Amino acid sequence: MQYQSQKVAYPYFALALLLFVLQVLLGLWLAINYFATLPQSLVDIFPFSTARAMHTNLLVLWLLLGFMGGTYYLLPDETKSEIYSSKLAYLLFVIFALTGVVALVGFLFGWNQGRPLLEIPTELDIVVVVGVLLFLFNVAMTMIKAKNWTAIQATLLGGLVFLAVLYLFGIPFYQNLTIDWYYWWWVIHLWVEGAWELVTAAIFAWVLMKITGVEREVVEKWLYVEVGLFLFTGIAGTGHHYYWLGAPRYWLWIGGIFSALEPLPILLMVLDTMKHVKHRKLEIKNRIVWIYAVGGAFFHLLGAGLWGFAHTLPQINYYTHGSQVTVSHGHLAFFGAYAMLNLMVFYYAMPKLRGVEEHAEGRGKFGFWTMISAMFCLGLAFGIAGVIQAYLERVLGFGYMATQEQMKLWFAIAFVCGLGFLVGVLVTVYDLFFPKPAAHVAHGR
Amino acid sequence: MAFTKKGAKWILWIGTLSSLILFLVLTVDTHRQVKVLTHAENLSEQVVQGKRVWQKYNCNDCHTILGFGGYYAPDMTKVYKRIGKEGIRKTVKNPQLVFADSWRKMPQQNLKDEEVEDLVAFFKWVSEINTNDWPPQDSDKLPPSSIRRMVAGVGVSPGGALFKEKGCFACHKISGTGGVAGPAMEGVGRKYDAAKLAQYIRDPASVDTKSKMAKQDLTPDQAQQIAQFLMGLK
Repeated sequence: MQYQSQKVAYPYFALALLLFVLQVLLGLWLAINYFATLPQSLVDIFPFSTARAMHTNLLVLWLLLGFMGGTYYLLPDETKSEIYSSKLAYLLFVIFALTGVVALVGFLFGWNQGRPLLEIPTELDIVVVVGVLLFLFNVAMTMIKAKNWTAIQATLLGGLVFLAVLYLFGIPFYQNLTIDWYYWWWVIHLWVEGAWELVTAAIFAWVLMKITGVEREVVEKWLYVEVGLFLFTGIAGTGHHYYWLGAPRYWLWIGGIFSALEPLPILLMVLDTMKHVKHRKLEIKNRIVWIYAVGGAFFHLLGAGLWGFAHTLPQINYYTHGSQVTVSHGHLAFFGAYAMLNLMVFYYAMPKLRGVEEHAEGRGKFGFWTMISAMFCLGLAFGIAGVIQAYLERVLGFGYMATQEQMKLWFAIAFVCGLGFLVGVLVTVYDLFFPKPAAHVAHGR
Repeated sequence: MAFTKKGAKWILWIGTLSSLILFLVLTVDTHRQVKVLTHAENLSEQVVQGKRVWQKYNCNDCHTILGFGGYYAPDMTKVYKRIGKEGIRKTVKNPQLVFADSWRKMPQQNLKDEEVEDLVAFFKWVSEINTNDWPPQDSDKLPPSSIRRMVAGVGVSPGGALFKEKGCFACHKISGTGGVAGPAMEGVGRKYDAAKLAQYIRDPASVDTKSKMAKQDLTPDQAQQIAQFLMGLK
């Protein structure tokens, strides 16, 4: 670590990890809700809806904190200058952390806008907007002052601005439910298949460059192509959410065609990662970062690319829309595309921030393999439940609860997978907080 | 490699802009067409108020609507057609009774009567959105077998239609369909005669002092018709 201001990233990473653990715990609670019978008195106080709002908002919050921390860590190295204002970065950390706590506690008391994933009330939305504007200001000023423009910086800044602008569409109250969902997807879809892809593609390109030593020229060239394909398929691909909400029929065509192409940029990213790794110019240090980079690229392709493709065509989506198939896709995609990317960044940066240049990889590997196998099983369990649901409820016309009865077993299996996932998460989080120096470093060579 | 950075930049800009322009143009057109597809002219003050109620109680994190939201409870897009006004009222007001024997519960959120009415208006409006015939389980074109059975057995008699319309299914089962808060209706005609049954429906306590059922707001004629229908189930 060359620059003092890279340190501001640490609290962002640390809080992100704690929220990740909390998110998984709430996920386990949700799974219990799906197969067990809870007493009415408990359901009245802490319904599924509240726990779900917490589970999903924790996800968004920890991922965004991870992106912000990652940005602060990467920026000095990329621009070859300190962060414009470290104080502002710390202040914003406190603001975001407090907003998160207030939002979560608020949910428990029904302080809620009632729109999935965008539950936080308008008052807090305003705090978030101001905070994000200041964050963008800090990032942009760092870049402008340094005058060391690179494609990675431009992509990162572009993605962050895009992310912030889209958030605005989620704030107003829409009278027409169809219009409401139309713009809800501008936030959710254009985040995950647009703005977030830009931010993470930039961060990923930077980490790849650092660990493989492949020339900037080559990395950035592929970055342009990936970003171009992500946006080409992703923007019009939003249409795959507009099939059944009261929008014109042409969305079936637009959504179907563009989203069928969505796996392409991810596939390109996988190939590109493999190529860079093969032609690396540096010796392999901190293998765990590598494992996350390559594993993340593959899981991204699996969860977002293949699982998304599987039910994106209107003919299939007609039966799977709003079923557990979506849940399966959601878990695999968020984990593969974004959780793993963040964990890769944490593994790259956190030990260095703690003064450990090379860390032992045992615990990290255990955490990695436990998490990805458990998450894969979780995705399968939800997926099987989803296929049962699509067939019994939507094809045969069984009642909702009669169908859920047949899915119970798979929710119980999902719970067990979730427990396994929790073990992997706890080991990983512990390892990141207390990195162990590699044996040959610890004993001297 | 022949492929240059300049070529890569072209891919970036052409890809992004073509997709963005297409998307924005279609967004403008969608706004125009949504008015027709959602019957925006029926978007009354009460419907909008109903949407606020829907959001206030965070219904959407358990139920999907238009297929979006939580997957913990049934989709609400066509709930108005599925269980009717009374079904909605009874379920929202007394979930603890409607789902007393169900293994999955719905929270009692103590909605005001006015809020329940707003919600009903909202669901009615939503049920008329042209969703390209989604969801399949509530499709008009292909009624699922459960509905077909019900229509065959229930829809033919005026009393049966009333039984469905007034939300009696919220608490009572007929041939396996319906709620569990009250007894199933098969055999009820052996217990009472038609006149007693009609009286029971309008004022349960006057026939059976231990009855937990609420008085039903029906005309004597309507109660008579439902009673006739129930007599046929013995």
